[in-house]
Amino acid sequence: MEITIIAETQGNQLHAVTRQLVGAASSLGVSPTILCAGGVGADEASGISGVGKVLSVNGDCFSTFDGGAWATAFDAAAGEGVIMGAATAQGRDVVSRIAARRNIPVVQDVVTLSDGLNMTHPIYSGKAMQDVTISGSCGITLRANTFSPAGDGGSAESATVQQSGDVKIAVKEAIAKASERLDVSDADIIISGGRGMGNPENFDKLYSIAEGVGAAVGASRAAVDAWDPIPHSMQVGQTGKTVNPSLYIAVGISGAIQHLAGMRTSKYIVAINKDPEAPIFKVADYGIVSTWEEALPILASEIAKLQ
Amino acid sequence: MVYEALDFYDIDSQLTEEELMVRDMVRDWVEEEVLPKIEEACSEGVFPDEWRVSLGEMGVLGAPLEGYGCPGLSYTAYGVICRELERGDSGLRSFASVQGSLAMYPIWDFGSEEQKQKYLPKMATGELIGCFGLTEPDYGSNPGDMVTRAEDKGDHYLLNGAKMWITNGTTSDLAVVWAKLEGVIRGFIVETGDEGYSAPEMKGKHSLKASVTSELVFQDCKIPKDRILPGVKGLKGPFSCLNNARFGISWGALGAAQACFHSAKEYALSRIQFDQPIASYQLVQNKLSWMLREITKGQLLALELARKKDNGSWIPEHISLAKMNNVDIALDIARMARDIHGANGILDEYCIMRHMANLESVKTYEGTHDIHNLILGRHITGIQSFTRSL
Amino acid sequence: MVEIAVLLKQVPDTNAKIAVVGGRVDESAVTSWVTSPYDEYALEAALQLVEAGGGSITAITLGPMRADKVLKDAAALGVTKLVRIWNDEWLDLDSNQVQSVLAEAIKESGADLVFCGKQSADRNQGSTGPGVAEILGAACVVEVSDFNAAEQFYLRPAASGSEKVTVNYPAVITFTKTESELRRPNVRGIMMSKKAQINLVSSDAGASQVTFKGHTSPAEKPPGKTFEGSDSVPEVVGLLRDEAKVL
Repeated sequence: MEITIIAETQGNQLHAVTRQLVGAASSLGVSPTILCAGGVGADEASGISGVGKVLSVNGDCFSTFDGGAWATAFDAAAGEGVIMGAATAQGRDVVSRIAARRNIPVVQDVVTLSDGLNMTHPIYSGKAMQDVTISGSCGITLRANTFSPAGDGGSAESATVQQSGDVKIAVKEAIAKASERLDVSDADIIISGGRGMGNPENFDKLYSIAEGVGAAVGASRAAVDAWDPIPHSMQVGQTGKTVNPSLYIAVGISGAIQHLAGMRTSKYIVAINKDPEAPIFKVADYGIVSTWEEALPILASEIAKLQ
Repeated sequence: MVYEALDFYDIDSQLTEEELMVRDMVRDWVEEEVLPKIEEACSEGVFPDEWRVSLGEMGVLGAPLEGYGCPGLSYTAYGVICRELERGDSGLRSFASVQGSLAMYPIWDFGSEEQKQKYLPKMATGELIGCFGLTEPDYGSNPGDMVTRAEDKGDHYLLNGAKMWITNGTTSDLAVVWAKLEGVIRGFIVETGDEGYSAPEMKGKHSLKASVTSELVFQDCKIPKDRILPGVKGLKGPFSCLNNARFGISWGALGAAQACFHSAKEYALSRIQFDQPIASYQLVQNKLSWMLREITKGQLLALELARKKDNGSWIPEHISLAKMNNVDIALDIARMARDIHGANGILDEYCIMRHMANLESVKTYEGTHDIHNLILGRHITGIQSFTRSL
Repeated sequence: MVEIAVLLKQVPDTNAKIAVVGGRVDESAVTSWVTSPYDEYALEAALQLVEAGGGSITAITLGPMRADKVLKDAAALGVTKLVRIWNDEWLDLDSNQVQSVLAEAIKESGADLVFCGKQSADRNQGSTGPGVAEILGAACVVEVSDFNAAEQFYLRPAASGSEKVTVNYPAVITFTKTESELRRPNVRGIMMSKKAQINLVSSDAGASQVTFKGHTSPAEKPPGKTFEGSDSVPEVVGLLRDEAKVL
């Protein structure tokens, strides 16, 4: 079986997920070919263990992201078999277009992959999993951080091809990441503070962590009632918002039943509270018995390491 | 907590596609626009004006009336609308009941062509708000003895008297007022700004706090001759209106009951005492099962009544039974739900206490619980027992 | 004047419990079916675009009879052309099959602009928009979070944050949640929708190249753990990354 990986990049480098794609291909006993858009990351790619070949695909189209143009160029450069990418916005776009060009199916957001090809991907936002098998050629995108990354020590042959496609998208204006605060209803990660935060100024500590991971900051009713600078729009609970994020971090929140009503269906709950008897620990997947003053700086630096 | 309306017998499957779409429209609006603001509205004692605008935009005011810009929906749809509104708050449903059944309906049924054209289209969109003046300080269950009177002054009528417990009074643009003209009850349209007319708000309610309640005062109130409703004389006028409003209440009360049931069920499942959710205890299950039983019976009653309204086979006594029963069980369910919520039940975190306090009014207005019993008593025996004087 | 096709998928209410029975998600247990939320933003965008510059909208769904509901809901918001694609023999269509039958209906509609959600709330794949674009020979802008109806530019995510782009037509735009408030139907619209005609079409979807093996429930979470002291924070962050996979 042949696997061609569309390298995922970040700036002028490979994105960490690219190594995970190689790792997944290796686990199937395949030495994949990596396609690098405009040659970005090609040098690093050839040093990844298990890579069969690196192809820098050079073309005018790679100055702007246009899934259609990129798919045209990659399609011409890639071999038969499996086209593999990362399950990011761009990865999904490009891989599904290559699959459509080739009249082969595509399966996105794969979390397990084994010979055959048997694969599993979450459906209904992870409330169920779907197992499928494809025996012929196909497109696949893999979810980041679910496959072991390949290490260094490779020395794959590197080549360059000229391929491009018609660019139909024009960028009119780049907009820097807004520092606006996310709403708890829209966020996949929420960090909430309670009256245990002592005063509203201390919520700044929550904001600085939240900014790093794209999280929203929430609050318990006790905090909203006590402090004017904490608006009702931040309130999670019975009379506030009902939230359902992947991760909910409750800081200095005791866990009154009214608060639990708004957040107990979160996929994972972390509680930081100095009182080991606080009811929030009953619903927490990971409880940390500590003052927030001690725990938050460590949390901030540990999360920063992951970025 | 995602709202799941209790519908044990899948009664909503009897609704038409159109009625279901209306249900979902109102339910979503209540969920998104009313529930987040209802406690604040209650504590401030106001009916937010944006709700008036939204009700007009959705086009649910005067739902079962046809023509003159009115929606022309079935009575079943009207019932569903009342149920979904009252799941939010009885004050919200009261607003819609008064506008549609008590102010628009009499103009639609008894008004002149000019009156219909002048008022109804703007009332359907919520641009004009109406109220209904029947009850007086000393004449509640006994409206026939009202003292408000109209005098024919040749080129105008002169109104004198006072009305009390008037929903929407202070914020209305017009009032449909029932007064005696030469000893006969007649309907008059009084507009805000008419000389000698005022509508001071009544304060201090512990119930229907998000609804405006007023007195209407007429002191030599002068209105043009074309403001009398030409099409009706006697108590039949106001009673026709009340039949429609009471019908809406029979559905609306179920909305409040469903909200209380939902809250009680969720609470019982999440509240841990003696290491177990209280929902696992027999006394709590007994309460929940009683609530389910009564709501289901009430739903069957309301649906059958709506069908009778739609096919014309109803009598006023049918409405009395449904209004009386469904409000009664809703109030009991609210009290029982408060019990299940324990001390938490008195907090504004939950809808319980608000619905309970509201339902105390609903039990009394639009024909008290006991008066409806007497209406049924008269129907059964043929003997009226309202008054000793015959 | 622009002809827009909006692709709407009917999915279980996103709050619904999803149960796997006999190796398959039990759809019969789903009591509430709704329009996939991102598709609603696509529809709202289409309505705004037509309001601003004229044109018309065709709402297209792929699904069994119950999916008529999403078309009726669109009709209540003013969409007059409604198409449902279905064949009772279809089960577990693969991405190619879905895209090809949708593309055929889009061509039939004469649309030069196609709006859809970035992914459906049930399959969560995100293949349909780009795939349909490829078949139609159209450009595709994915995960658009804002747009300007007058100037016809779209805001998409970029490494730097986001970027405003314009696109040559024909084009497919996939929407994520936008700033727009979704409009509500009103009674007048609902009455109109009753009269709206749904055009039921079917076509040859070809054979699936994907073998469906089954659905399973996600792995149970391990029981909650409590750690003493702030020294445990690094361990918890590690668990959030490796065990929970949420960081």
